[in-house]
Amino acid sequence: MSVAAFVVIAFMLTMYVLLDGYDLGVAAIAPLIGRTERERDAVLASIGPFWNGNEVWLVASVAALFALFPEVYASAFSGFYLPFVVALWLLMFRGLALELRRHLPSELWRQFWDAALSFSSALLIVTFGVALGNLLRGLPLNAAGYFQGTFDDLLNPYALLVAVFALVTLGQHGAAFVLMRVEGGPAALATRLLDRSWWVVLILYAGVTALTLVVHGLPARGGWLLVLPVLSLSALTALRVSLKQGRPGAAFTMSSVFLATLLVATAGTIYPYILPAFPPGRGGISIFAAAPSSLAVASALGVTILGSILVLLYSSVVWKRMAGKIRVE
Amino acid sequence: MDPVIADRLQFAFTVMFHYLFPIATIGLAPFVAVYTWKAARTGDEETARIARFWTRIFAINFAAGVVTGIPMQFQFGTNWAVFSRRSGPLIAQPLAMESMFAFFLESVFLGILLYRRERAPTMLTAWSAVLVCAGAWASGFFIITANAWMQHPVGYSIAPDGTIRLVNIWAVLFSPFALWQSAHVLTGALLAGGFIVAGIGAYYLLSQREPQIGRRFVRAGCIVGFVCSMLIVFPTGDENGRDVTTYEPVKLAAMEGLFASEKGAPLAIIGMPDTSKNDLIDPIFVPQILSILAYGNPDANVKGLRAYAHGLWPPVELTYYAYHVMVGLGTIFMGVYAIAVLLLFRDRLFSVPLMLWALMLLMPFPYIANEAGWVVSEVGRQPWIIYGIMRTTEGVSPNVASGETLFTLIGFAGMYFLLGVLFLLLVLREIAIGPSGAEQAARPSTPLRMTGDGGA
Ligand code: HDD
Ligand code: HEM
Ligand code: HEM
Repeated sequence: MSVAAFVVIAFMLTMYVLLDGYDLGVAAIAPLIGRTERERDAVLASIGPFWNGNEVWLVASVAALFALFPEVYASAFSGFYLPFVVALWLLMFRGLALELRRHLPSELWRQFWDAALSFSSALLIVTFGVALGNLLRGLPLNAAGYFQGTFDDLLNPYALLVAVFALVTLGQHGAAFVLMRVEGGPAALATRLLDRSWWVVLILYAGVTALTLVVHGLPARGGWLLVLPVLSLSALTALRVSLKQGRPGAAFTMSSVFLATLLVATAGTIYPYILPAFPPGRGGISIFAAAPSSLAVASALGVTILGSILVLLYSSVVWKRMAGKIRVE
Repeated sequence: MDPVIADRLQFAFTVMFHYLFPIATIGLAPFVAVYTWKAARTGDEETARIARFWTRIFAINFAAGVVTGIPMQFQFGTNWAVFSRRSGPLIAQPLAMESMFAFFLESVFLGILLYRRERAPTMLTAWSAVLVCAGAWASGFFIITANAWMQHPVGYSIAPDGTIRLVNIWAVLFSPFALWQSAHVLTGALLAGGFIVAGIGAYYLLSQREPQIGRRFVRAGCIVGFVCSMLIVFPTGDENGRDVTTYEPVKLAAMEGLFASEKGAPLAIIGMPDTSKNDLIDPIFVPQILSILAYGNPDANVKGLRAYAHGLWPPVELTYYAYHVMVGLGTIFMGVYAIAVLLLFRDRLFSVPLMLWALMLLMPFPYIANEAGWVVSEVGRQPWIIYGIMRTTEGVSPNVASGETLFTLIGFAGMYFLLGVLFLLLVLREIAIGPSGAEQAARPSTPLRMTGDGGA
């Protein structure tokens, strides 16, 4: 049951990264690929109908974590009080920027919100990257399982590197999405961007993977994890091939597969801990420790699994209905 | 500052601000759904404009509701870690259901409602509007279940280490307490929706713009507002009162400012509770009514505050005044809307400017009544965070300093102030443009064109 709970949380967070990842990425690179106001309108219109639904995967993951691993929810959220609140402010700011920019026909108004949007989206990706980096590296936890470190501890070089990697990778993910949904100027710029960012992603991927092995060591039971780099690299290669063949849909799919393999690798690395301690080997909060009663887990699993299936079903109908390219005239 | 006070201030401020927006989305969603549906069915141009108008107002409220709602979900963990740890297996169930079954529905289908490029509503948009409405109402229901459980815990057991275990999820979801509380809260929101529609309609009539549409708004808003102003008192308010009597008797005593236990307790309509004298100052009583309201029996004995240890008292004054504000406003609402509906059915309403003024000026008051109700419910629950099980002081995060909480509280206050200003600006602008003005007004230019098959 605990394993199932872990898998469900990992699945929901992966969905969050795949889906909100592209709209965060699009928003972050909007100034790069939308040179004029009309171009930016087109770029942002491509994520307009979807971003809110995508963000609910985060809200839902948090709720599922609260239900399935209340210890972890309480410890992580109170431990990282300030970073979490800052992330919240960024989320709020970004949501406002996306929704409000359309509401006044004033150029200044839009310029302000567009800048706010790109800034807060990029910073959010960095914040999530730092969080992910620290999760992989392990956290200073005290005996009661509460975080016991300072803000500076979180900004270690490894976590910062992961953050940079996250920024470039989600930027690429966003560019692939734009290519799929927008025609004209932004698409050309996105193609150029992808052409260059691909190499950066490749190099950062190699660096982060190597460093993770150094920081974390090879996980004891994780032999199967070695398959994942192969998958990641194939996906990354296929992404480039699809781009060269001019198949943006396939490129976006491959970008998603690439991200998914990275997240599965993360989950596999920290397992069986959901909040591993630093330095590695000191334990942490394991998924088997203090699991809530089986009825609570069963109920929450039922809700999240059934819910996810329903959501994916109707979301795919909506995605189909709202498909089609946006053209800048 | 005491960290508990800082956390309570922050929670109260953020949740009360958040709730301003669900009031309007829950209350307006049915109007959006009905108008969109009608427009799609009949192809009537005016109805389509009305549907778009309310959709835009709804969307602004929704955006503000989402951005202020996300911090709420995090706050249980950041500020109330011990509470979350102990009660998470239970209290997070309705929260997970809310996300999976309500928020997704609302957000995904709102995408269609807002971004479809056709001008006229189609059946797809009509269905989306209905699903968005279902999502808004369901999220209200689930969150209230969580709150109701904190007022009256059911379906649980306590493990040796103090964690609360879930024993019966159906008991939690469908406890009569939760059902009546949901009914009362959702009615309160719909009441506000009716008042908003009628109020804006009255504004259009008084300012002599959109007379045709103004009449439609006033008519629909008055009927919904009147029905809700009855339902909010009876049966839902009445049942809430009985539940409080049964399960949270100290709260009842504080709400009524009843210090001494009394047989055939009177209802104080006016009066000032004074906790230094432990008595109600300058009261006006109606004999025996409280016993009737609480127990349905004029001679029933109602326990006063003095019957309980002082440590179990909630802040009496705040609970008492908030309750009287809510009930007082409820009475006024019923009176004004009864007259309005009477005039409406005699075809006199639109020629009585005084009444239209009343409808317009009454618009903000359901917000006050709703927030006051929450103060009764939450402040009156003190000193418990989970009634009878866990005290609020035991629930806070041990490792968050009050300085951090205060700092973030100031940050939230600043952001919410800006958000409030922007919100008012945008809503007032939409109202000024109006349903018919939308075509001519410089809507943000959309230089975009969908190619390919954008769906049906
Ligand atoms: C338009 C808003 C509105 C109006 C006019 C009223 N209420 Fe109310 N009331 C609410 C909106 C509300 C609320 C905001 O929805 C509350 C807060 C928490 C809750 O459950 O509902 C509430 C709480 C609340 C509670 C506390 C429930 C608890 O502590 O769990 C009681 C006993 C009543 N109400 C009873 C009444 C009565 C007898 C009214 C008759 C006039 C009345 N309310 C009018
Ligand atoms: C939107 C409507 C709500 C409003 C306006 C509201 C209002 C308040 C207020 C004023 C307090 C502070 C009480 C005090 O410290 O004296 C409070 C506390 C609290 N409320 Fe609510 N509440 C709302 C809904 C909810 C819901 C739905 C939940 C649970 C899911 C909840 C959970 C809490 C918790 C955990 C606290 C902190 C502990 C405490 O001070 O009791 N509230 N709320
Ligand atoms: C402490 C309690 C609360 C928490 C934790 C909470 C949490 C949230 C969250 C996370 C969202 C954003 C969802 C999204 O991204 O789409 C949200 C929005 C919403 N909340 Fe709350 N909420 C609380 C109180 C309430 C209450 C009391 C109600 C109604 C009775 C309510 C009704 C809604 C609705 C209808 C929305 C959708 C957005 C909107 O319509 O404004 N919430 N809430």
